[in-house]
Amino acid sequence: MPNRIIKWIDHRFPLTSFVKHELTGYPTPRNLSYLWNFGFLAGFVLMLQVATGIFLAMHYKADIALSFDSIQHIMRNVNYGWLLRYMHSTGASAFFLVIYIHMARTLYYGSFRAPRELLWWTGQGLLLLLMATAFMGYLLPWGQMSFWGATVITNLFQATPFYGDQVVIWLRGDYTVGDATLSRFFALHYLFPFLIIGAVVIHLVALHSVKSSNPSGIDLAAKDNIPFHPYFTAKDFYGLGIFLIVFSVFVFFMPNSLIEPANNIPANPMQTPKHIVPEWYFLPFYAILRSVPNMVGGVVAMGLSVMLFAFMPFLDRSRTPGGGRYRPVYRIQFYLFLLVILVLGWVGYVPPTDLTIIIGQVATLLYFGSFFFVPFISKAEERWLMKRGLPAEVTALIESETLEIAKRKLNPRRRKGEVA
Amino acid sequence: MNKLITILASCCIATSVWASEAKLETVKVGLDVPTVERGVGVMMDSCHSCHSMKYIKYRDLVTFGIDKQKVDAWRGDQPLDATLLAQMSDSDAMAAYGKAPPDLSLMAKARDGGASYVYSYLLGYYVKPDGMPGNHLYPETKMPDILGMSGATDAAQRTEIQSKARDIVSFLAWAADPEEQERHRLGYYVLAYLFVLTFLLYLVKNQIWARLK
Repeated sequence: MPNRIIKWIDHRFPLTSFVKHELTGYPTPRNLSYLWNFGFLAGFVLMLQVATGIFLAMHYKADIALSFDSIQHIMRNVNYGWLLRYMHSTGASAFFLVIYIHMARTLYYGSFRAPRELLWWTGQGLLLLLMATAFMGYLLPWGQMSFWGATVITNLFQATPFYGDQVVIWLRGDYTVGDATLSRFFALHYLFPFLIIGAVVIHLVALHSVKSSNPSGIDLAAKDNIPFHPYFTAKDFYGLGIFLIVFSVFVFFMPNSLIEPANNIPANPMQTPKHIVPEWYFLPFYAILRSVPNMVGGVVAMGLSVMLFAFMPFLDRSRTPGGGRYRPVYRIQFYLFLLVILVLGWVGYVPPTDLTIIIGQVATLLYFGSFFFVPFISKAEERWLMKRGLPAEVTALIESETLEIAKRKLNPRRRKGEVA
Repeated sequence: MNKLITILASCCIATSVWASEAKLETVKVGLDVPTVERGVGVMMDSCHSCHSMKYIKYRDLVTFGIDKQKVDAWRGDQPLDATLLAQMSDSDAMAAYGKAPPDLSLMAKARDGGASYVYSYLLGYYVKPDGMPGNHLYPETKMPDILGMSGATDAAQRTEIQSKARDIVSFLAWAADPEEQERHRLGYYVLAYLFVLTFLLYLVKNQIWARLK
């Protein structure tokens, strides 16, 4: 009976061939490390945010007179409302953590290089959408930090040439962040996740066209590719279990560690908090904004600091496989870059003093320098590696894989992408 | 590398400078019924005339396990579902203090340091050289020294005030996060379940990957 139903469907819809092409026959490099789990985890967190968000929206009121109270209503009166809300607020942090690790993996292993540029750029678009969604969602509880964060960030659009002031009013729907702003941010905060889902589909189509990169950085021959299902579904679910343990520790035992105390005070436009800080995932970019003395310059620097990742396929000019794995200089650059980001995050968190301003400016220069010097360093490093010779294991691997690929081309019955 | 060490070193120095700004007396709140009940009592006597707790209903106190007779005495002729609104209106408070006293429902979560902040604030009163009361933690405060800390001279009196402050803070901590105990209880079950599930998923993964030569 089930077979007949599937047959019936297959006549009308490519179900079996889709499953075969994208899951049971989708070739995946068998040497992927656990760092390749984070794309799946990001997809999971997205679903979690959509699911909890829809239920929160059923009890939330997007009205400046009611929104703060409605959050407390969710926390105190709605059955397991506290669980929904803490899962959603912790989920935002989890989303960024997972995405940042996903990006760090791509940068370390050079996965953004040809032929995966479009995959990387759709990911960059997803990052921007995620940041916009998180920013708008943060206004909804209508706490002090919500209000002042939104005020500071919408103010930055004053940097728009000629129409700065009008753009700010257009974004807020009012002269200050107010009811109009809250309503539209709520509407858009509900819309954007669905745009993200659409963009994720494009990201996945791009992925399934170029296939996953792998730690060796070499295109593996068929013998080293295994089907996604069951091997990587099993591995991804195991990784999901570990993720959920960490996630639950935060949700059940320290959910307020991710909520700024000032956001438990209702928004008060007449009283600026002593010290306005964004959520942890925006801190490095916020530090870059504050490090440039000129406002327009700061906004441009902050925008660039997010967008520069898109240029990596052009900036990295080395053809040595495996990214940081076989490139000692690039590896050092990568870790220094991580360190610079951590320092910037710390600078963004503490109240500014003369010392932190200088540290922030140095770190900002190092941040941009890390990108600026990539083309020269990567080229020089490649030349040096060529002269010195790649490690024997890489050379052997390249040779054996080239041989396999050549053999496969001679044999017409073994189609490309088919699993051996 | 030298630059790196310099940056790291200056980070450490800056952090320690920054950390010494706020001196909080840490307090371990008690979320047991007797402590919270004593806390509500002090709150009703000393804070309730000016401060509201608009997210807490009298019924919530009964549900938590506080003596129904005491709650009835506190609420007077108000219904059980009434919230703990202040006896003084905001406009009267504005006239008296120049500033509306904040709602206390979320106070234990609304300051850096949480409950310890409120505890240190309540105990932070002292007599300034000009004879006026002042507060170490929040000098701009308009609130009078309700617990009488600035006038307390002998150790026994101070200890009593400290335990009173701890009771209030415990109640405020409960009020800010009434689901905390339920959350922890559920959290242990969830974690236990996830550990078993993850271990099983690990075995499944190993078994499937063992097929590969």
